[in-house]
Amino acid sequence: MKRFAVLVVWSALSVGLKAQITLGPTVDTFAVLAGSTVTNSGPTVVLGNLGVSPGTAITGFAGIAPGGPGQVSGTINSANGFALQAQTELTAAYNAAAGAASTGVASADLGGQTLFAGVYTNATSIGITGTLTLNAQGNPNAQFIFQMGSTLTTASNSSVLLINGAQASNVFWKVGSSATLGTTSSLAGNILAQASISFGTGAVLQGRALARTGAVTLLSNSITAPAGLSGPPPPLVTPAPSSLILVFTALAGAVIYQSRKRLARSFGLR
Amino acid sequence: MSRRQALVVLTALVLLACYASTLRGMVEQWSTDEDMSHGFLVPIVILWVIWKDRERWRELEPQPSWWGFALLAIGGCMQLAAALGVGLFAGAVAFLVSIAGAVLCLGGFGWLRALAFPFVLGLFMLPKLAIVYNQATLPLQLLASRIAAGLLTSAGIGVIREGNILDVGGHRVLVAEACNGIRYLMSLGFMAVVFGYICDSKLWIRLALLAAAAPVAIIANGIRVAAAGWLPVLDAGVPHAIAGWLIFVACLAILVVLRQILNKAQAHDQI
Repeated sequence: MKRFAVLVVWSALSVGLKAQITLGPTVDTFAVLAGSTVTNSGPTVVLGNLGVSPGTAITGFAGIAPGGPGQVSGTINSANGFALQAQTELTAAYNAAAGAASTGVASADLGGQTLFAGVYTNATSIGITGTLTLNAQGNPNAQFIFQMGSTLTTASNSSVLLINGAQASNVFWKVGSSATLGTTSSLAGNILAQASISFGTGAVLQGRALARTGAVTLLSNSITAPAGLSGPPPPLVTPAPSSLILVFTALAGAVIYQSRKRLARSFGLR
Repeated sequence: MSRRQALVVLTALVLLACYASTLRGMVEQWSTDEDMSHGFLVPIVILWVIWKDRERWRELEPQPSWWGFALLAIGGCMQLAAALGVGLFAGAVAFLVSIAGAVLCLGGFGWLRALAFPFVLGLFMLPKLAIVYNQATLPLQLLASRIAAGLLTSAGIGVIREGNILDVGGHRVLVAEACNGIRYLMSLGFMAVVFGYICDSKLWIRLALLAAAAPVAIIANGIRVAAAGWLPVLDAGVPHAIAGWLIFVACLAILVVLRQILNKAQAHDQI
């Protein structure tokens, strides 16, 4: 009976206290962090800091020899104390993500699925073909943690869609070995990779590419660290009205403009 | 129904059947992507233009061309490639190419020339080309952020910009991917083309209107972001929607004024 009570309390705590992963304040400012090298080809844009530690090599970016087409909005950190601190915090976040209690099994291909907040586990690999939808159900603090024993692979043109308040900063991909993002794929969340992260041409990451020991390889990509460089998440500027409304309004105006003489006659203005 | 009319209807039905999957994908994108939802209106405008110009192309003597089969073959290959994974954009282009091929087969180059404008309008219902869209999104976001920050600074309002985030006196605004201005660009570009046609403008005036639509749309989006930064009430909801709509109406007004200026310039040159 006592064991049963303990089990009930433990289960309640497990459900009630959902695992919450937080990145440290230093690694939080990084959009790209590697253990060995950061290599870029093409006009990559990185919004956030970029760094490498304990390795030193960063190539393909303006602002660091020998230069390159890549742009970084933040600072470039090669094996300095800042990058070292970020790696220390990355290790803590990686371990926290790895240790989070699983709430569900992640299938080998998450494409076409809609998932709610939780910790999803696959002992081997996870792939995304098509669109994976993450639904926060109106809770902006909802976290989505994906634990995989080895690789994360996204297919060409695949995407992760965040809906109902889901935020890229609350999505974590704990990758046991390496992550590979397919050509023009679009991923959201923080990739915490044990080894390396490779981007296909034109792949977009709304989140962070954080590799503990290996390289981050970029090919004409855009990487945006969520919530800017510091502070709480800012509100989004809601997009303009849909193009259907805009064009419909304009066409209605054009019809009235075309019929202005007839309308004027109808209303006895001429 | 004449034999030729029956052939046109049959060809249209065959094309619709062959490209059903592509058309379904296009309609799905128009339904789910608010940047592309004007796609529903494009076919309506195309049909209206064809109806309006009916006298012009009816007068043309059909002179079927074998080149139409070449275009149909190219369209078919593109559609096959699209079905094998190249993507929806290739399928949609294949659809337009095949329609052009069918027009050539049935009516010849005269018909194709007469229907050139509807084909131009058809480009506005093509799906987003992912590789271009992904590459353009971030620079446009940053551009909108820069323009907004510049406008606010010029107005004497203090603003700090961190990439695509604006901090206006503690009020922080994130210029998200969906705020890149492509919606204004697509909508205003389409309207510039339609407006040039409605006003029966010269080709160079039409091209000038289309060229002007891009900077006008980009600056307008910057103004929209600046307004949201300056007045927090414009961040979201009904006021935001109204502001976005009013700015678009202002863009249309700029095109109307520009067209009048160009018309006057042309008249002045002729004198």
